[in-house]
Amino acid sequence: MAAAEFAPERILATLHAHGVRCVLMGGFAAVLYGSPFVTTDIDVVPASDQENLARLSEALRDLHARVWTASEPDGLPFDHSPTSLGAVRVWNLTTDYGRLDLTFEPSGTQGYDDVARDAIHLVILGADVNVASLADVIRSKEAAGRDKDRLVLPTLRRIAEEDGGAPR
Amino acid sequence: MSGGRIVREARRRAGLSQAQLAERVGTTQSAIARIERGTTEPSFARVVDLVAATGLSLVPQMLEPDGSDWSLAVDNLRLSLDARVRRHRSALRFAQAGREAMRGRG
Repeated sequence: MAAAEFAPERILATLHAHGVRCVLMGGFAAVLYGSPFVTTDIDVVPASDQENLARLSEALRDLHARVWTASEPDGLPFDHSPTSLGAVRVWNLTTDYGRLDLTFEPSGTQGYDDVARDAIHLVILGADVNVASLADVIRSKEAAGRDKDRLVLPTLRRIAEEDGGAPR
Repeated sequence: MSGGRIVREARRRAGLSQAQLAERVGTTQSAIARIERGTTEPSFARVVDLVAATGLSLVPQMLEPDGSDWSLAVDNLRLSLDARVRRHRSALRFAQAGREAMRGRG
């Protein structure tokens, strides 16, 4: 199978079309605030109520989402339901439009309600997107404490101190 | 990473020859060469001493494994050069549009 062309706006538009309540988090959210560390996957925090999980399940079907594994980068087909989606805290998926990670409770947060509180709404390339605040992105990366997070945190903190990442 | 590779990396970073390192620790150039080649596997304490002799410190760190970046690299390795460029161009296009949208909010 040919590798998917990366089109994050298509992934986010599909989630929005299905009414999935979710917040864009992680490295791509940081990029929108001016982070120079570009990534080629998107991290999304969905709300974990059953109704939203049902919408998410439908959206994932439209995206032909598969479980990414190192041994099968094209992804393994998986049958999902609202219950099975909610039973796993992190899903690493590959879709028709690139890689999508779903995390119900990012490190240092209480999940969707927590990060949605200060999220900002943007329309990007036609896609409605709720983007986590830079402070929440930093909070999560601090709590995760991975080497890759430690590398980017000084820059993100500096951006937050300068102007919060507001574009000029 | 083997002890020998750590010793070689430290020695090269310090700009030392095998003979110079050997002299610092009271051994022979051939003994250092055997360690670096992996013919002799030094103890952990010996590796720490050899690294210290270069003027560097070996600081072990225990970390949780993190495969997320590597998983993206695995994807990239399967792509042609053109496809790799396209993938990043798509990411940047989205990022640029996102910045424009943010600017539009005032």
